[in-house]
Parts: sequence; structure tokens; C-alpha cells
Amino acid sequence: MMRPVLVRGLALLLAAGSSLWGGYLFLQYTGADGISVLDLVRVALVGLSGFWLVWGATAAVLGVFTPARRPRIDASAKPKGLTAILVPIYNEDPVAVFARIAAMNRSLVALGIEDRFHIAVLSDSNSLEAAAQEAIWFEQLIREPGAAGRIFYRRRENNVGKKAGNIEDFISRSGAAYDYALILDADSLMEGETIGELARRMDRNESLGLLQTVPRVINAKTLFGRCMQFSAGYLSPAFARGAALMQGREGPYWGHNAIVRVSAFAANCGLPVLSGKPPLGGHILSHDYVEAALLSRGGWTVMVDPALEGSYEEGPENLIEYAKRDRRWCQGNLQHWRLLGAPGLKWWSRFTFVQGIMAYMASPFWLLLLAASIVAAVFPRQPIVLPALPQATAGIWGLGLAVALVLVLPKLLILIRGMFDGQNRRVGGTGVALLSVLGEIVFSTVLAPVMLLLQSRAVVQVLLGIDGGWPATHRAQTGLTLRQAWAASWWIVLTGVVTLGVTAALAPGAALWLAPAMLPAILAPVLIAASSHATTKAQLPVLFRTPTEQCVTPVMKEHSAIMEQWQGQTGSELTASKIGRHVHA
Amino acid sequence: MKYDGDLFFASALPDAPLPMPKQQLERRRSLFQALRNAITSFSWL
Repeated sequence: MMRPVLVRGLALLLAAGSSLWGGYLFLQYTGADGISVLDLVRVALVGLSGFWLVWGATAAVLGVFTPARRPRIDASAKPKGLTAILVPIYNEDPVAVFARIAAMNRSLVALGIEDRFHIAVLSDSNSLEAAAQEAIWFEQLIREPGAAGRIFYRRRENNVGKKAGNIEDFISRSGAAYDYALILDADSLMEGETIGELARRMDRNESLGLLQTVPRVINAKTLFGRCMQFSAGYLSPAFARGAALMQGREGPYWGHNAIVRVSAFAANCGLPVLSGKPPLGGHILSHDYVEAALLSRGGWTVMVDPALEGSYEEGPENLIEYAKRDRRWCQGNLQHWRLLGAPGLKWWSRFTFVQGIMAYMASPFWLLLLAASIVAAVFPRQPIVLPALPQATAGIWGLGLAVALVLVLPKLLILIRGMFDGQNRRVGGTGVALLSVLGEIVFSTVLAPVMLLLQSRAVVQVLLGIDGGWPATHRAQTGLTLRQAWAASWWIVLTGVVTLGVTAALAPGAALWLAPAMLPAILAPVLIAASSHATTKAQLPVLFRTPTEQCVTPVMKEHSAIMEQWQGQTGSELTASKIGRHVHA
Repeated sequence: MKYDGDLFFASALPDAPLPMPKQQLERRRSLFQALRNAITSFSWL
């Protein structure tokens, strides 16, 4: 296998070279009569945005040509170390969360390795009603097989440090009892086989500080959710494989569905409170990136294994919920600006921070490019500061084609690979996969202007010092009405109408170019509402079909069965009268 | 943090503390801080 530093170097050369070439082509076209300051601004934005586009595409292409080594798993071999499975929750639906825990526990029990795993529900719920429900449903959970002395629940009254603080609280009180901690999210689900394998990998490799899985999104029911689910299940593994090649021993941590070595985590990942006020100061929101960087700084290996299956999560079912989560991630990633100069970090970790920042800064940069292009169209006579470049050879269409290729080529290559590695078969054949890949390209292109405006607003809010906090998520919310969609996106419609209207009045030629970007913005409420309607399991369309929809995995089946059984008990065995006795105010 | 003593299943988490020392992430002397210190040192003027 190529050394990560070599892969990084090649990817860097390719991304920098392509963006410089793209910038040159752009300048040839826009500065045909001489180069103005506005042209220089635009070319800088094209170069910067293009760099990250090519960087992402390079990772995906690398992933396409990297074999997925499916591990041989001896599922019933007992891990030596003792693992705590940590499930931090925050005002979630306890029935769904505890049913997932029960399903994972049954999966471990079936393999006969449950005694090497304890499960701790770490509640940060600040709603009394949520806390009461958790206490009630915990009683149900501990009736599960093998639960005695293995399944725990605790609630913090004060959720200092949010999720990172919750985990830290557990480790500082009980961490010495465990070798490893499998950190999950409230919506995480994992096969017992996968959980066992993670612990055995930690046993085998004593320098391994953290092993991250690539969770597949499951249970989506809406067009929006299923498109994301398809993208995460079909396209993301190739991106993750390529990224893993570059990362080497300095891999990522995404905050959940990952196992950590408790002693290494405790020694290296105590997060300080940043000086100053939120959003850029205070508690670190995107703690996972920082924890991965700190483990690397401490000399530990941090790895991701995209070939490890049986790791799942749920995703937002509509664009509004997605944007809410994105707002939090945006604030967290921009906070990393403060940590770029943190002492002792590896250069790759610093680069990862920049990458995370650019994931959000790219949107305002594209928006600025759009705005600068409108200004250039409305005021074509700009003062010339540099002479024109030689006559364009490829032209602006060539540049546009190159950008489209960078966006689409990796997805088409993944499709072609799928014909040979069985991935297409798992979603119902190459025809179905092709339909879904094309559907994903169309859907993500249509939603791109809306996403662009939402992310740009998030960045501006953070830069203006507005703290978004940590709102509870309602991932499963489906069936948004037009009124709800309008309330969340009226400003997007207004931006689209005003921008297109002003451009049409002042530079009608440019309005034609602008229309494809602004029409989806004008239609935002319709897009948001229409893509949020749930379909029943029996009626799921072929488009965006995933392997887990085709063939439900054992732990998913178990989870559904438990949910059905438990929900049938609501109001009978579990009565509200128990609430009073369990609540801690 | 509280453990619920009234729970039908009153198993508490193991009492096994493991210290998590706070890491240093911000440089103690930033350029901004140095400038501020320099300006402050002339404040008697």
C-alpha cells in the first residue's frame, strides 16, 4: 500500500494544479479585454473553491481503485478487554433508543460474548418529561437477557460540555473499569458481530487508540432522507476508502459508531473550555475532530475501516432538520479556527481542521463568486489593472465541463465499480443503481442553491457571534406542511426573487445564467415540503434503494420486533404512575 | 450526577475514576496577546 504522505502529496498536487489551471482558464475568459480587480477577486474564489472540489473528487477516485478488504470475522471469539458501550442521549424518544440497545444486547447474547460488554445509557436530558420516560423504559430494558450488572443508566442534572462532557463525565467516574469504550449516538445501531470485531481489533493492535466505522444510514422514509441514505450507503464508502488512504494512522473520528481505548482517550482527550464566548469560544462543539487530533498527538493510531459492515445510524428526514444539525456542525467546525495553532498537533490534523472549516466556508465563497459575477455583468466597464492573457483555448464551456466532470465522474466510477464488486447487485442491479445515482445527482443539484444559502447564513451567523446552541434533534420528523417549509425558508425565496429580479432588470443576459441557481431557491418551500413526505415500507420506490431496504439485517429485524412489542405495552404494563418515583429534578 | 436508588434495578455504574486532564489547545502567548501586552506596557504614558 502507498504511504499516506505520498498519496497526500499527489492529491495536493492534483488539486492545486487543477484549481490553478481552472483559474487560468477563467481569467482568460473574463479578462479577455484586460484584467480588473473584480476579475482577480473572482479568480481567487474560483481557485479556492475549485481546490476543495478536486480534493474531494480525488479522494473518491482513489477510493474507487482501492480494494475493500472485507475482514474475516470469528464472531464468537471473545474479546479479552472489557468494553463499555456508551449511549449518550439528550431528550430523545426512549422507546426507540432503548429498543436499539436491547437489539444490540440480544445480538451480543446470541453470540455468547455479552459478558465482555457493558452498556451505559448516559442521559443528558434536561426535560423532566423525557427523564421520566427514560426511567420508565429503562425498567423495560433491564428485563432483557443478561442485563443484570451489565446495563446501566445515569442522568446528569447539569449537561456541562454537552456530548463530549457527558462522555468525559463517564470516563472520569467509571473509566478505569474498562479497557475500551464503544461510543454510540442515540440513533446508532450495530450488529453484535461488528461490536465484537471492534473490541478484538483493539485487543490485537495495542497502538490502536480509536477505530471508526462508516455507519450506513437506515430507516429513511422520505425522498430527502432516502436520497441521503443512498448517498451514505452507496457513494460514501468510496470517499471514505480514498480518504483513509490519505489519512493513514491519523484517521478521523465522527463522534459515534467508533471504539476508543479508554486509557488513551482519558490521557489525551480532556477538552478544555476555549477562552471567550460562544460561538467561537466556550465548549468545543465539534469535539470529535479535536479528539482524533489529540489521540494522534499522543502517538496513538486513529483509523477508519470502511469495509467493516453492520454499523448503522439514522439521518434527518427533511431539509429543515438537516439544516439544524448543519448549523451546529458549522459552528463547531469554524471553532476549529482557534485550534489551528494548537501545540504539538500533527500537520495532517491541522489540515483536517482546515478541511472542516472549508466544508462550510465554501458556500459563502461560491455565493461571493455569484455576487461578483452579477456585479461584473451589471458594471462591465471596470478599471483594468493587468493586461489580458493570451486568447482562450478551451473557453468557459470547457471550464464548466471540467467542473461538471469533477462533480459527476467519481459517482459514475463508483457505479462502474459496483458492476464488478457486487454493490450494484445489493441494491437491485446496475439499472437500479444507475437510476439512483442519476437521481442523486439531479436531487443534490436542485437542492444545492438552497443548501448554499442555508450554509452561508450559518457561517454569517457564527461570524457575527450568534450562538446556535445545541438544539435537540427530531430526525424522524416527516410530512412538513408548506406553511412550515415557508416559515423556515421565506428568506431563501426572497433572496432568489430579489437577486433574479435585479439581475434581469440590469443585465438580462446574466439573468439567464443565474436562473438555474435561483429558481430552486424561489421554489425552496415546495422542495422542502415535497421531499419530506414519508412512504410506507411496502411502497418504497426503486429509486434510492439501499441494501438494507432490500434485505433487513438481523439487528434491524430484532430492533423492529422489539419496538413493535414494546409499543404494544404502552399504557398497560408501563404506567404513568411510575413516573413520579423515578424523576430526579 | 445522580444514580436512581429507587430504580427497581438499582445497579450503579462502577466506581472506578480515571482522571482526564485538560489538554492545552490554545497557545498561551498569541500574537494578539503579545500586542495587547505591548500596548498595556505603555499605558502609563
